Amino acid sequence: MKRAWLGLAVLAFGWAAVAQPCLVVGMIIGGTKDDAGYNQSQYEALMALKAKMPCVEILFAENVPAGEAEAVLENMILQGAKLLFPAGFAYMFPALNVAKRHPDVIFMHPGGYMLANNFGTYFSNVQFAYYLLGVAAGLMTKTNKLGFVGGMPTAFVLGNCNAFHLGARAVNPNVTTYFVVTGAWLDRAKEVAATQALIQQGCDVIGSHLDSPIALAQTCCEAGVFFVGYPSLAVQKFCPEYWLTGLGLTWGDFFVEIAQQVLAGTWKPAHIRRGLEAGFLTLGEFGPKVPEEVKRVVLEYKEKLARGELQPFAGPIRDQAGNVRIPEGTAWGPLDMGKFDWLAEGIVGSPK
Amino acid sequence: MNWFLSWISGAILYAAPILFPTLGEVVEQRTGMVNLGLEGLMLLGASVGFSVSFVTRNAWLGVLAAAGVGLVANLIYAGLVVHRRAHQLAAGLALMFFGIGMSALIGKPYVGQMAPGLPKYALAGSQSLLFRYDPLVYLAFLLAPLLWFLLFRTRFGLWLRAVGESPAIAYAAGVSPNAVRYFAAALAGTLAAVGGAHLSLGITGTWSEGMTAGRGFIAIALVIFSRWNPLRAIAGALLFGGAVVLQLQLQAQGVGISPFFLDMLPYVLTLLVLLVWGRGVRHVAPASLGRVYFGTE
Amino acid sequence: MRSLGWTRLGWPALRLLLTVAIVLGVFGLFLWALGKDPIQAYRDTFRLNLLNPRGLAGVLARMAPLLLTALGVALPFRSGLINVGAEGQFLMGALAGTWAALNLPALPWGLHLALVLLAGMGGGALWAAIPGALRALGWVNETIATLLLNYLAPLVVGYFVFGPWRAPELAFYPQTPEFPASARLPLWFGTRLHLGFFLGLFFLLAYAYLVSRSRWGLELRAVGGNPEAARRLGLPVERWILAAMVLGGALAGLAGITEVAAVHARLKLDISPGYGFMGFLVNWLAFAHPVGILVMSFLLAFIASSGFTLQITQRLPYAAVNVLMALILFTVLAKPLAREVRR
Repeated sequence: MKRAWLGLAVLAFGWAAVAQPCLVVGMIIGGTKDDAGYNQSQYEALMALKAKMPCVEILFAENVPAGEAEAVLENMILQGAKLLFPAGFAYMFPALNVAKRHPDVIFMHPGGYMLANNFGTYFSNVQFAYYLLGVAAGLMTKTNKLGFVGGMPTAFVLGNCNAFHLGARAVNPNVTTYFVVTGAWLDRAKEVAATQALIQQGCDVIGSHLDSPIALAQTCCEAGVFFVGYPSLAVQKFCPEYWLTGLGLTWGDFFVEIAQQVLAGTWKPAHIRRGLEAGFLTLGEFGPKVPEEVKRVVLEYKEKLARGELQPFAGPIRDQAGNVRIPEGTAWGPLDMGKFDWLAEGIVGSPK
Repeated sequence: MNWFLSWISGAILYAAPILFPTLGEVVEQRTGMVNLGLEGLMLLGASVGFSVSFVTRNAWLGVLAAAGVGLVANLIYAGLVVHRRAHQLAAGLALMFFGIGMSALIGKPYVGQMAPGLPKYALAGSQSLLFRYDPLVYLAFLLAPLLWFLLFRTRFGLWLRAVGESPAIAYAAGVSPNAVRYFAAALAGTLAAVGGAHLSLGITGTWSEGMTAGRGFIAIALVIFSRWNPLRAIAGALLFGGAVVLQLQLQAQGVGISPFFLDMLPYVLTLLVLLVWGRGVRHVAPASLGRVYFGTE
Repeated sequence: MRSLGWTRLGWPALRLLLTVAIVLGVFGLFLWALGKDPIQAYRDTFRLNLLNPRGLAGVLARMAPLLLTALGVALPFRSGLINVGAEGQFLMGALAGTWAALNLPALPWGLHLALVLLAGMGGGALWAAIPGALRALGWVNETIATLLLNYLAPLVVGYFVFGPWRAPELAFYPQTPEFPASARLPLWFGTRLHLGFFLGLFFLLAYAYLVSRSRWGLELRAVGGNPEAARRLGLPVERWILAAMVLGGALAGLAGITEVAAVHARLKLDISPGYGFMGFLVNWLAFAHPVGILVMSFLLAFIASSGFTLQITQRLPYAAVNVLMALILFTVLAKPLAREVRR
């Protein structure tokens, strides 16, 4: 009997030795990996990492509430994780706490603003590219009313709404944008209600910043109203007919870059912000109802953005009350995106 | 005027998924059983309904399956409470955990999938997008008066209420309290699950974990608000649905208001109802609510 | 300490073991049916959460709020009151404590922390005083009132977290500013274990003393056992009812503020994954017995911690542990309780 156990142990040990991964990478997300939105984009990047570096072992947990994040990250470290992606806004502080206790584990957080010796951040310059979705919307709208559904009134959401509006105004000065917040990153029933409220207001192109705009897309389809997708291009399939275009967060290659740095010992903490040009974002295909002319103009703006000729947040930009928020001659860059606590002139809705 | 119509239209739609579980709980509590597991039952219904609709490509089969699963799940609760004389609140919370867990397991493969939803029919005379509902909405509002009639105008309703008031007397009058309670639990489980299926198949067309977002608890509050009367439950559900929609519509018109204030409204009103009627509620509430019936030993 | 005697504990202990064995078996079958390896799942769970000091510290840290909320339910239970409101009291305790943490002027570490914890207890106590008073006045049943207040509490917290107290620098997620160091609970041994766990143990001992040894405990039980007789004996029944609710609320509130001051360091909406409801179940499983509360809160904390192990190692949704929890409860519930302890 004893010998059998011993044999088993040797077998197990031998197996472990053979399958020794080069790096254990962990990720937690707040929603499900198939949400056609934020969580799916993070998960797809992780899977791209696995595909390009098969020697990596993946640990993954979904639907992790922020209050549980510390426990789960600790759990992953117990299982050998050396690189962790706490892939949700709300995980920044819990992850920092864990990072303090484990200086040998490296953390990469999406969208955070704090650094530590073993804690860096990454995100896409979404607001700049969202401007392009606004251009498309401004050209497509018949009623000159755009709608925007946000999960919570946070700086990135306000920034995206502003970009959407400013992009539309660049090609159509008569546009008004209506901004509605559901109060949760994921409450499908409320998202439907919010979209319906906007449609009844007369909005005929809907933008959004939610975890997963599936229900929004389906509501648009039912009402025959256009929408733009973010943060994953996967939402297209829920209403291909009224899909204008969209933005996907695409980080697979970047994750590989980070994993290689960690393995080589060259990783350094930094705030990494890149955009369309670096593949951190992908502009989606255009939908079937988008005329060639509109496609041409949007791609033209995209070129200008890539060449640095276009500054979406160049002053003067006024807020709803008419106060100048970005003065003439200045422009907000990627690291200013956390500063939005206002909505631009011409947007109806509350930034609080 | 236009916004008012769209408000009413939205209030009716969002009232329906809460009205189902509220009505079921009214009947269940009328027989003396408090069931805190509604949230779990609704989640089960939403998940099973969506999954079956995905697999069979038929939303109605989804609703049927949800109803069946809700019925069976609530019979677990009833079995524990009636047969094994378990603590009602604990059994309800256990059922809640069960529903949260099982719905997640069942629905897992269908997250981010598309399933056929329920068809929509316009209320007579409505041309626009307003007042177009799936049949479950009509069903919810039809059920309320039907259940009111059942409870207060039929002999069977009398039994139901008698069991809730005094199981011993009901027993003496030749009614089997246990059978009546099993019936009420079956009905409540069915309705709660259909309410959940309405969320996934009627309103959102998707399944996501925990998508009921506390509506099962709101239903329990609404039972008290309605003082155990199916007709007043309509008012409570409309109040809640109206608060949700109003808040978003006000935003779309540029009126900033803390969403938390409007969300508090149904609960604050329920508390006020309790306070205003004060001792009166005691007379309305089924007398044996929450107690265990030990038969006539 | 007759009521803590081992003869009285022998049977419940055996029954608990039996229950756990049955449930582990059933859940194992369930895992197997899902195509998982139950033996491996259990091995990983025990290895990572019990045998590993860090994992164990995590379980104990999770036990802290369960101990305190369970006591918050147990105390009113002793006087015949059903407090389903620990969840709301937990949140209001966190809210009141946060106010003290962020608004009191600079104070030495110990003093500030003590005031923060006291404020937390005060918040929970006040929130529980509402149903307590309504019940003492004979207006509203405390079960209904505590239940309703559970749903109100997160909305009140949400109002402050999204509104007046929202930290301006945290543009991406609504939460309050960070607690100053003087208002933080110490964490120990480089793990997640914090002072809240020992506060929980302390109050558990105090509770055990109160119910078994003190005159207070006797009166509390008398009020709970037979209010009419207690009234004839000249006991102030109404005052006891209010006091029991308030004390229970204070303990649940303490759970809330310790959780915030130790784990999160800032108030936000998702600080409780249902600790109040779990506390209710702990108390109910333990039948308000101090030893039972200790064992059951450990058990539930262990199960909740295992959820993520199972998700990471077995790719099960976290919610699967809810099924496990429900199985335990169903199994226990299916066994009718002895008549004299039924209420």
